[in-house]
Amino acid sequence: MPRLLSTALSLRRDPRLLKIPPYVSALCIAIGVVWLLLLPLDNYSRRTYVSENALLPGQVHTYFGGSEQHIFRAFRHEVDLLASKNNYEVNDKLETILTGFGVKVGRQNYTYHSAGETYSGENVYGILQAPRGDATEAIVLVAAWKSIDEQLNRNGVALVLTLARYFKRWSLWSKDIILLLPPDSKTGTQAWVDAYHDAHDSEYIAPLPLKSGALQGALAIDYPHEERYHELHIIYDGTNGQLPNLDLINSIVNIAGGQMGIETTVQQMTGHTDSYHDRLQTMLRGMLYQGLGYPTGPHSSFIPYHVDAVTLQPTGQGWHDEMAMGRVVEGSFRSLNNLLEHLHQSFFFYLLMQKNRFVSIGTYLPSAMLLAANFTIMAIFLWVKSGQPIETGASDESKERKLLSPLALVATCHAISAIPLFVFNHLDIKTLPLAFGIFSTLSTALPAVFSLAVASLHKPTLQYFQLTKSFSLLILGVSLATLSTLNFSLAFLVGLLASPLTFLQPTNTQATRWVFVALLILTSPPAVISTAAYASGLTMSDVLKAASFGWNVWGMYTPVVIWCVWWPAWLIGATNTLIPAFQM
Amino acid sequence: MRSLLSLLLLIVPSVLVSAADYHEQLNLRPLPLSALLASFNFRANTSLADFEAHNFRLFPRSLGQILQYAGTRELHLRFTLGRWDAESWGTRPWDGTREGGTGVELWAWLDAETDEEADEKWLTLTNALSGLFCASLNFIDGTRTIRPVLSFQPEGDHPNSTLQSTRLLHGVLPHEVVCTENLTPFLKMLPCKGKAGIASLLDGHKLFDASFQSMAIDVRPICPSEGECVLQLEQTVDMVLDVDRSKRPHDNPIPRPPPGHDLICDTTKPYHQPGDACYPVDHLRGQDWTLSQIFGRTMKGTCPLTDAEVPPVCVHIPPTRDIFASEGAHEIKYSDNDSMRCYQINQDQEFTLILTNAESTADGEARPLGIVKPETPVLYAERSFTGHGQEHGGMQAILTNPGDDPVEFVYMESLPWFMRVYLHTLSARISASSPNVNTSSADIIKEIYYRPALDRARGTQLELLVSIPPHCTVFLTYDFEKSILRYTEYPPDANRGFDVAAAVITTLEPKVMNIRTTSLLLYLPTPDFSMPYNVIIFTSTTIALAFGGLYNILVRRMVGANEVPRAAFKDKVLGFIEKLKKKRAAVSAAAASAGGSVRPAVSNTEAK
Repeated sequence: MPRLLSTALSLRRDPRLLKIPPYVSALCIAIGVVWLLLLPLDNYSRRTYVSENALLPGQVHTYFGGSEQHIFRAFRHEVDLLASKNNYEVNDKLETILTGFGVKVGRQNYTYHSAGETYSGENVYGILQAPRGDATEAIVLVAAWKSIDEQLNRNGVALVLTLARYFKRWSLWSKDIILLLPPDSKTGTQAWVDAYHDAHDSEYIAPLPLKSGALQGALAIDYPHEERYHELHIIYDGTNGQLPNLDLINSIVNIAGGQMGIETTVQQMTGHTDSYHDRLQTMLRGMLYQGLGYPTGPHSSFIPYHVDAVTLQPTGQGWHDEMAMGRVVEGSFRSLNNLLEHLHQSFFFYLLMQKNRFVSIGTYLPSAMLLAANFTIMAIFLWVKSGQPIETGASDESKERKLLSPLALVATCHAISAIPLFVFNHLDIKTLPLAFGIFSTLSTALPAVFSLAVASLHKPTLQYFQLTKSFSLLILGVSLATLSTLNFSLAFLVGLLASPLTFLQPTNTQATRWVFVALLILTSPPAVISTAAYASGLTMSDVLKAASFGWNVWGMYTPVVIWCVWWPAWLIGATNTLIPAFQM
Repeated sequence: MRSLLSLLLLIVPSVLVSAADYHEQLNLRPLPLSALLASFNFRANTSLADFEAHNFRLFPRSLGQILQYAGTRELHLRFTLGRWDAESWGTRPWDGTREGGTGVELWAWLDAETDEEADEKWLTLTNALSGLFCASLNFIDGTRTIRPVLSFQPEGDHPNSTLQSTRLLHGVLPHEVVCTENLTPFLKMLPCKGKAGIASLLDGHKLFDASFQSMAIDVRPICPSEGECVLQLEQTVDMVLDVDRSKRPHDNPIPRPPPGHDLICDTTKPYHQPGDACYPVDHLRGQDWTLSQIFGRTMKGTCPLTDAEVPPVCVHIPPTRDIFASEGAHEIKYSDNDSMRCYQINQDQEFTLILTNAESTADGEARPLGIVKPETPVLYAERSFTGHGQEHGGMQAILTNPGDDPVEFVYMESLPWFMRVYLHTLSARISASSPNVNTSSADIIKEIYYRPALDRARGTQLELLVSIPPHCTVFLTYDFEKSILRYTEYPPDANRGFDVAAAVITTLEPKVMNIRTTSLLLYLPTPDFSMPYNVIIFTSTTIALAFGGLYNILVRRMVGANEVPRAAFKDKVLGFIEKLKKKRAAVSAAAASAGGSVRPAVSNTEAK
């Protein structure tokens, strides 16, 4: 032990020690990326399993079918008759149908404003009271009038009405069943769930006239598909990359696959061959959705309130009919009905790479943490370096670090990051693309302006550069490490895109500087957003509108991460690179 | 009390309270859609003198001894499952006085001079009743017991002197699931034990499949103006059956989709096509049933002990509907109430009733189809939690007065201690359905009785005297904080949440009624009691230990003992002494310059 101690102590003074951190940083990035790529392998991912024993998925006989099909067809005819009617007329009819079964019906008006556009509508919902229950718990069945792709959710709505009538006959429900029929897949559920938890803005969103107990789970049916289908697409991403409990997905996979013989799929991966490539693709798609934090279906709004929810979407051409879909819903509801406790047993943080293969947070988190750590290591290294006297000269300088002006620059950059956040979430759609263009130009020009300003104010020293970069990377590292526990994918993506900032430094050679500048412009947030929009075939105004909508309606925090964490870090990195030759 | 008695007399017109008698009656009342309210009432009187002499006749000995041992003057016990749907079913049976909140509710007046004595007797009572009724009544401890001040009044006749020395205690178990094991002891207390009379219809399978069911046991002393005092034991079972569900055969209770040709369709729809599309209209069909269908068995005569004057079965249905009773039964009609028919039954003949479908109203428009329209209740009450998250929450009670008279009532909540109520946030907001009503929200709450909770010792008791103007809705809201329990205090199903008992509403004006809201499920911050949680804790501990050691090695400056500059301590001590000396010199110099001004002051204090 003493020998070990003395070795450690002697190592502490070794000048070689100070050469290591940049390599460690680079290694962190490399390991982080490789780690992620290893996850789809059999050794690192696991098969899913139903953890909550009370669920007993697929253990009950489902009886939905037979003459229910006649009723289903009748309701589909009713839905067809309403196709051209407005929201209120549709709700009037739906209310009549639901009241006929003895379901209590409530309605809720709401209005959202985003990017200068108004989204208003009226939700209609029914509470099928559990025959022997006492309104302490409830499960929700959602069918939006307009599907995710803005089509008429013809089969979905008819199926919910048929199921409501069928469920009413059973006496075994221990939880109330809430049938929610919002006018669209985007705003309706959000308004309803907010109001259910009294988190709504009462100026624009009406309170709910009827309520039941604590929500235990929700299932949305997105079924505009006309032909008989082949597989069931389970959409599970929630707002801000939050996910439902894995047990819910497992149960549905189990019921659909094991009991009904319906294939299930996640992340639009039809024809998944379970190869490494397919698994990786599924995982990356999942990460992209999670990273964007953008809701993927009517179920997404439930998840921030800790209500586990998924959307089921029949796809493909096959031989399964609406009754099979109804039986899947029946089976899932019977499972949820069995729950004694809130879903808590299984994972809330996972990446799915196949319907029955996943990695849990313990396995995947290190890759984002390593990316975040790379910034922190570099920041600490620069802090240490900045405290060391420069051997070459300038011995008259005091040993104290000059903190004021580096801190001022970092604070300024972070403070002005509130401007894009505010602008992009409050302008209306007509001016948004123009604003983005102006902002991109300004954002490119700003580092040059800042560097000139810094250079003219005082002679930038090496220490000045080190300290600014240190503070900036420190903030970035801390933010990303925290974020990775909330939204792994977003932290990973931002970490990866910001990783060049670790290694950029001012140079005196003109050529290197131009290379750096080019790299910086390529990895700047506006450039990345434009590239991503171009790659996915969207116009810039679509992207900006969607982002603004996400912020104003769904409370998405992705813009905060982009404009207030990533962009200021980039701005400081770029300013530093452009600072003219400093005193060595 | 008087109004209650008169009410009972109304329902059972030819009954007079007399000593040592027994009667039973079943009231059937079809409700909208396929609901049917069946109210069973069994009442036994025993003279107080007989009771005190341990001379139990109609009074069950098991219960009688418990009451005597625990010094109970009046007892009310309720087992309730499901909820009363006031919107479609109207006023509650017995005006809500014979039902409890979900689970088990118990309140009693006990002979006790002090609170401690009352607590002791309460403990005895709950534990004994727990054994008798196979319910977890022994879990009604101090944290679930309150002493209502405004809400409950004794129903029996107590002399003022005894009332002075009795204590009212009230306990509730919202999470108790009422089931057949509670019904069996209930039936055992009847004189005919469920073998004959209307009690022979009580089948556990049907009772607990009902949409709402409430079993009540009331013991109270009744002192008529002339004659001796009697102790009255009243047992009540109210159940709302779903006729469609009850009619399913016992051996095949699964509601499979019926064959296509059995569906009742709306043939006027343009798309209607038998065997293809069918818009269901079966909800427009009226009720038709037989007594044996809905209860799963026939009624086996009458109980020989019952008062022959009281008809055992009554049906509340418009006179236009046809009912057929089995042979030998005698139908009684009342001139003052034409929508009620009662049946006198032979003592040992099986009895059944057949209600036929109201075919005459098949035009589909005349709804409600052939039932007596339910009376609008005096007050609608609804209660729910607001807010989300694990730290704070809110409670909202929505109370609506649909009538033309102002309603005055007491709103009582018995809340668990881990729900810390912020009483200053209590507010009452009023909204009127018609604009011309004076809606000042200042004088809605007239009186507040509040007994704050003590952690782990007692729960919160909140009683509000509220008055609502006609056609108004009052929103009572308050906030609370969720406390964190010790980890051993969580039940095995910690993630289920904790049940919060129903609020009890006792209306005082225009008439005395009881309403109970539904119970609620409260989520508390719950630790993750799973294996990953343990793993995280252990790894964190290990890392903390390892990090501590490593950090110590890297940062601490280690110096050999011989390299330490010596006598550091000695120097310090010397320096301190030096300082003291200097100070002293300074003080004496100052004293010398100030002359004798210091000394007299000192001697002055000494003189004192």
